[in-house]
Amino acid sequence: MSGFYLLDVPEFAPLAAAALRTGKAREEKKIGCYRFIAFEDRLDIERADTGLTEAVWYGCLTAGLDGKIARFDSLRLTLVATNEPILPHA
Amino acid sequence: MPASPAATLPAPVLHGVDHTARPTWKLRETVHFYRDILGLPLVHAITAKGWGREKEQHADFIHFFFDAGKGALIAFFYYVGTKQPPELVVPRGYMAMANHTAWSVDTEEELLAWQKRLEMQGVTVSQSVRHEILESIYFRDPNFYPIEISRRLRDVERPDATDAELTIDAALELDATGHWTDIEQLWRTKARYVEKYRDALAESEAS
Repeated sequence: MSGFYLLDVPEFAPLAAAALRTGKAREEKKIGCYRFIAFEDRLDIERADTGLTEAVWYGCLTAGLDGKIARFDSLRLTLVATNEPILPHA
Repeated sequence: MPASPAATLPAPVLHGVDHTARPTWKLRETVHFYRDILGLPLVHAITAKGWGREKEQHADFIHFFFDAGKGALIAFFYYVGTKQPPELVVPRGYMAMANHTAWSVDTEEELLAWQKRLEMQGVTVSQSVRHEILESIYFRDPNFYPIEISRRLRDVERPDATDAELTIDAALELDATGHWTDIEQLWRTKARYVEKYRDALAESEAS
């Protein structure tokens, strides 16, 4: 399953809300202090829908990513499922 | 493995910042900036004949301290009759900004008051920036040392520490490979650590 973790703190809550509003994501059971937002093949989140400042936006996956970033700029975050190794040279 | 001798001692505890210090070759401008523009009390000054280190050709100096609140002092060394070595010129660019001083204020009003005071005194100051737990403004002193004033947006709690530990564990794993090149690799590795944390939680709940 692909998805991303979020520490359950106020500053990241708008990211989860925006992801869930897309209709392409669902929230799994909370793991301790972490939320997990799951998606199937692809998830697009517009920064404008999150209201996050760039200072928080560009660090919003800090809790962990099961997937791959296809696009990440000031406007949009696109995540896709992946089987690629984390380190290409490992 | 036997415990190290240090592990058998009671853990000592620190109680905040006494002072931080850096060199200056702009005595007048530095005193004017910290004492007159920022309004920090000049609270202490040491003057000494090279600390007696003749072999080292240690210059005579003034070491002076300003009070930045709650007992935290910011201090400078002015080495009399010396020229600034090129390696101590503060480099331009974001990497050198990592070496900065961040002072705290309690409220948004105080932060905005500092921003206004600095602007009115002709200091170039940033707009306030909200990070995860901090809201900050940034400026430079006459030595080009970066300074930040920030307020906490919320308390740092146990989950923040748990998350920080998992982040550093993941980073250390990647760092050891010698192939780590970007933050996406960290975020993907971190997910594995969060999954281990989940498994450990489930195990402790089951037992």
